[in-house]
Amino acid sequence: MSQPATTLAATKSRHARQGGLKIALVFGLAIVVALIAPHLFASGFGLSLLNRMAIAIVFALSFNMLLGQGGMLDFGHAVFFGLGGFATMHLLKWVDGGLPLPVALLPLAGALGGAFVAVPAGWISTRREGTAFAMITLGIAELAVALVVMIPQWFGGEEGVSGDRSGGMPLFGFDFGAASQIYYVLAFWALIAAALMWGVTRTPLGRLANAVRDNPLRVDFLGYDPARIRFLTFILSGFFAGIAGGMQALNDEILTVSNIGSQASGAVLLMTYIGGVGTFSGPIIGAVLITLLQMALGTLTDAWQLYSGLIFVAMVLWAPGGISGIIRSHAPILRGGLGGRLLAAYLALLPAALVTLAGIIGLAELAYRLQAVRGGGKPGHLFGLAVSPTTPWQWLIPLALFLFGAALLSRLAPGARAAWQEAAAFAAGRRGR
Amino acid sequence: MTSALSLRGLYKSFGPTSILRDISLDIAAGTRHTIIGPNGAGKSTLFHLITGRLRLDRGEVWLAGENITGLSPHAIFRRGLARSFQVTSLFPRLSVFENLRIAGMRNAGCGHAFWRRLDGFAELAEQVEEMLTLLELGPRRDVAADALAYAEQRALEIGLALVGGAHTILLDEPTAGMSRAETERTVTLLRRLSAGRTLVMIEHDLSVVFDLADTITVLADGGVIASGPPASVRGDARVRAAYLGAAAEVLT
Repeated sequence: MSQPATTLAATKSRHARQGGLKIALVFGLAIVVALIAPHLFASGFGLSLLNRMAIAIVFALSFNMLLGQGGMLDFGHAVFFGLGGFATMHLLKWVDGGLPLPVALLPLAGALGGAFVAVPAGWISTRREGTAFAMITLGIAELAVALVVMIPQWFGGEEGVSGDRSGGMPLFGFDFGAASQIYYVLAFWALIAAALMWGVTRTPLGRLANAVRDNPLRVDFLGYDPARIRFLTFILSGFFAGIAGGMQALNDEILTVSNIGSQASGAVLLMTYIGGVGTFSGPIIGAVLITLLQMALGTLTDAWQLYSGLIFVAMVLWAPGGISGIIRSHAPILRGGLGGRLLAAYLALLPAALVTLAGIIGLAELAYRLQAVRGGGKPGHLFGLAVSPTTPWQWLIPLALFLFGAALLSRLAPGARAAWQEAAAFAAGRRGR
Repeated sequence: MTSALSLRGLYKSFGPTSILRDISLDIAAGTRHTIIGPNGAGKSTLFHLITGRLRLDRGEVWLAGENITGLSPHAIFRRGLARSFQVTSLFPRLSVFENLRIAGMRNAGCGHAFWRRLDGFAELAEQVEEMLTLLELGPRRDVAADALAYAEQRALEIGLALVGGAHTILLDEPTAGMSRAETERTVTLLRRLSAGRTLVMIEHDLSVVFDLADTITVLADGGVIASGPPASVRGDARVRAAYLGAAAEVLT
């Protein structure tokens, strides 16, 4: 009788040890990547990209603590990010004025600021769930923006508040003025915050948040108040969003009302969703990719917001699990060595996808430049062709490309989907045996 | 000796429709009590009133000598009353193991801690593993609850009510939709796990009722028409008329 039980326990603890090892490995790898990255991307553009990624990762993870882990869609998450940032900024100004605090520690002030604001906001919003919760957060976001504009003594009105991160006392000879120096501060906080947020998913509260996401009613009948669990999760999430805001304050050295507004809240929703809300890694993937896309596309085209909107819509429609969901649904297939089969099916889609994409780019650029040309701007070139958005026939080419590509895609897609399903079933069957 | 559960003159109506009228009932600690009655008699509503899901219009509910009238479901659970649902209510995206662990967290003293590892509560994990074995869900330990077969979900539903160690357990049609063999396994499980606890269940399967119950209450049309040990309920003419009808031969 006790024999199978002990074997079972032994297997469990071995599993636990392996899990712990895997996590230590992943975290170690993250540290190595964080240390190597600034040497690979040592240019000013590269460093500023890395700094923005570090901030976005923390912000997106804190957002997913609500959406992915707790089932709470917060339309005003930038409130905690921005107000955490303002808290850091004010402390930074005192540090500039002679307060003996190391600048590297200031994101902690952001954390406290974010959590402090999350207490009243959460107290109101977490009494409800689902749509009502989302609506309340929208209201709170509007309220916060209005308050910030109304109190220019604290928030600097239109110009915002700025500070000097190199004005404090140096730490080990570093004053953090240079982008390469502040990078290590931001990377340090990103690693710490990510590790802590991962840790929270393994605690009683983290698991209860999952339970409330799945079935709040049942949680109530198991001895826990779902509203209380939402409330505590909300405060924690505000805490971590505040760290991200503090990092932002140190990086940009200026904070304005736009940092707490709906656009910033929309951006974090976008990157978290595109990365994938179902996994812990999803928001990290989304933060890295969208930041890269924003900055890379930003140098190529002024219409990048159009593109990120299109990507978002496409993901919601066809890949609601986000990028991490796509990875997860393909991992067993690749592990089973069935990737080759699938590759052929996917490659068959490629020409149609490229034609569609070309059509979309053409339409987006024309649409964007129409505005610019009417405003007296230059029309410019696209794919080596002179663009004149005011001539109707120029719209017909990308439109035709788009329609043709989309029609082709919709005919080919079922085949690719069937190939994926077959491969997935095959991989699952093989593992089962 | 105080009753495990004491209902004193409960009334409930939805709008103009009266659902329950003057329900009074005492259930002795450590016994197995079954509530039967035709569909629409108000059995599930009665459970909802006891567990805080719905508000009473009038009357009082006492649990182990304490008045729990008007308390919230989680407050009632903390006083030692757990329940299962007629319509399966699980955590669909979480594994069977996590489902059971959540059910045991309150009584394992996990609180709302976000600074302690959940895996560090070794006793809770042991309890859950034990329950997995009892429910014969061991091989399904790491499967998400929404991927389980119907009978497995029903077993897990019962498990959620049992794992936390509550002294009084309310089960709403635990064997609904189960095959004969599954029902028999469940009866054995309930007999075993109800030792030293009070079990109150709504049940349609009369063989289960007469197999398990120490006392039976018959509910019909919003009122108690009979209550007592199986032998006396079996002989009650009003029960036969109101509820048993065609099924009466099972009883003789």
